[in-house]
Amino acid sequence: MTATATRRTRPSPPPEPAAAPDRARRRDAGKLLLILGGTVLSALALVVSVTIGTVGIGFLDVVEAVRLRIFGGTLEADFAQAYAVITELRLPRVLLAFIAGAALSVSGVLMQGLLRNPLVSPFTLGVSPAAAFGAALVITLAGTNQLSPWATIGGALVTSLAVSAFVLVLASVRRMAVATLLLLGIALTQIFEALTSALQFTASENTLQAIVRWTFGSVNDATWTDVQIVGAVVLLALPVTLWFSKDLNAVAFAGDDAARSFGVNVGVLRVGLIGLAVVLAAVVVSFCGIIGFVGLVGPHIARLVIGADHRHLLPFAALSGGLLLLVADAVGRTVIAPAVVPVGIVVAFIGGPMFVYLILTRKNALK
Amino acid sequence: MSLSVTDLTFRYGRRQILDEVTFDVASGQFCALLGPNGSGKSTLVKAIAGVHRPASGTVTVDGTDTATLGRREHARVVGYVPQHGDAPFDLTVREAVVLGRTPHFGLAPTTQDWAMVEDAIERMGLGDLAERSMSELSGGQAQRALIARALAQDTRVLLLDEPTSALDLRYQIETLQLVRQITREQGISALIAIHDLNHAARYCDQVVVLHGGHILTDGTPQEALDAPTLRDVYEVDVEVHLREGVVEVRPRIDEHGYTLTGSQIGSLADAHVAFDPADEPVGARR
Repeated sequence: MTATATRRTRPSPPPEPAAAPDRARRRDAGKLLLILGGTVLSALALVVSVTIGTVGIGFLDVVEAVRLRIFGGTLEADFAQAYAVITELRLPRVLLAFIAGAALSVSGVLMQGLLRNPLVSPFTLGVSPAAAFGAALVITLAGTNQLSPWATIGGALVTSLAVSAFVLVLASVRRMAVATLLLLGIALTQIFEALTSALQFTASENTLQAIVRWTFGSVNDATWTDVQIVGAVVLLALPVTLWFSKDLNAVAFAGDDAARSFGVNVGVLRVGLIGLAVVLAAVVVSFCGIIGFVGLVGPHIARLVIGADHRHLLPFAALSGGLLLLVADAVGRTVIAPAVVPVGIVVAFIGGPMFVYLILTRKNALK
Repeated sequence: MSLSVTDLTFRYGRRQILDEVTFDVASGQFCALLGPNGSGKSTLVKAIAGVHRPASGTVTVDGTDTATLGRREHARVVGYVPQHGDAPFDLTVREAVVLGRTPHFGLAPTTQDWAMVEDAIERMGLGDLAERSMSELSGGQAQRALIARALAQDTRVLLLDEPTSALDLRYQIETLQLVRQITREQGISALIAIHDLNHAARYCDQVVVLHGGHILTDGTPQEALDAPTLRDVYEVDVEVHLREGVVEVRPRIDEHGYTLTGSQIGSLADAHVAFDPADEPVGARR
């Protein structure tokens, strides 16, 4: 052997230091604390957000109303009006805002991870234009703006889910590469935007107003039924995403080939979890209209705080997205009170600059 | 025999990439997989790694047919190091290496998983960089992190797909020496797809030359690397020397500093280009 070959680059490894794995576990515990802290903060923010509005309601009033609502008790006559405002108007809207934000943010994390691209959002595969077209079609066919909300919700949900199913079936049958999938999403977005524009062009004054109003994402008409349905979808989806978070890590960080070599069924995982992501997005869009940016910014904020590991990122992104939409709704209700700015508009005003700030200040945020 | 590949055939659509490839790599052996671009090296590595499903043929590890194993079981037996690991998201070296434990843990890594990760990081000399972000590492360090990931996977077979192609000389040599050392210490079978003939000759115990989806030669570097075969495979006029017991391959240069390549090889008097039709690339035969 020559001199270069005999000089070993590294000595044999020393016996395992016991401290290092403990450090790793402590870091995991720290991240769980962050998630716990975020949950407490979210609960406080929800209560505070209920107090905001034209009818003066205090922090303790909210706690009392929730206590009465859940555990029952006698409702004092002088508290009846505040109780009605809290439980029938404010609570459903703040809860729907929070849940919708959480759903979009989790959906964004899934899409970004599975498509291995930090710039995609829940709407990348054409979910929101398809939903908007479905709602617009129902409004146009009915020819009135006095439609039951269930009709537009149904129209939006059916078209957005059908389009997503079409994309996913095509992707799995043709074994599409990620780039092809993204291009398909762009094409579908263009097609459905054009279709909606065509409907708007032919619409009457009344229906045109209804179509345009629908596209402003808002939680103004939130009901307990909306909260229950969207909430149930999120509560079912979150544990499923957490169960697969390890496999999601493998695909997002190591790529398809390496993930397969780690024993991950990449094809099934990708189609299954993208399916879940588009269902989350489609349900939110159908109930609230188009709320952009949360699905893009929510995941990035969460990633900056808690890191990219999906085991912690998924729950934390639910909190960050929920809080973002909660704050946006609170701002929308106060900025030109008593008028209410739809949350979809406010969140773009808050999320846009925030995103620009993230891009410009953290070079690693998008790497 | 630790890793045993028998009659492995692989097709992309109608195009045949690998044609009944058969070879063995014993435990503790470091085997180089050589061949020009498009010879099927990468495909062969991925087929053994379980990334691609072969059309026919078997891969056995310590006598077990890997096709009978579930995905996770397979991943505990065969590890794979890709050419590069560009992650679109930023993560630390430790987070990158723990990915190798994916087939071993359930929802969260256990203390034992973290111990394996730490051990792999130390072995690759990345101890001081464990908390660094992957994007801050140099090419050589990032490549070592990928190998650490495969070490943490704790497999009987280690496959490497051109891990040295983007590295400078020092990191090429360090990487090869590390893999050789690990192979001997752990008694695993390592297979590396590589372009550099001299590195293969120096650091590997066995050399397999792949050409057009066929195996042309298989043996020790001295046995497998002979000038006529290499001229035939690479279409470059080379000469092979034995220097201090190690095979050395060099392009043969005439007095004008010119080396014959491609079809010019045929004009050589001593080319020994014995063209057996069976040796013709499968892709060309179609």
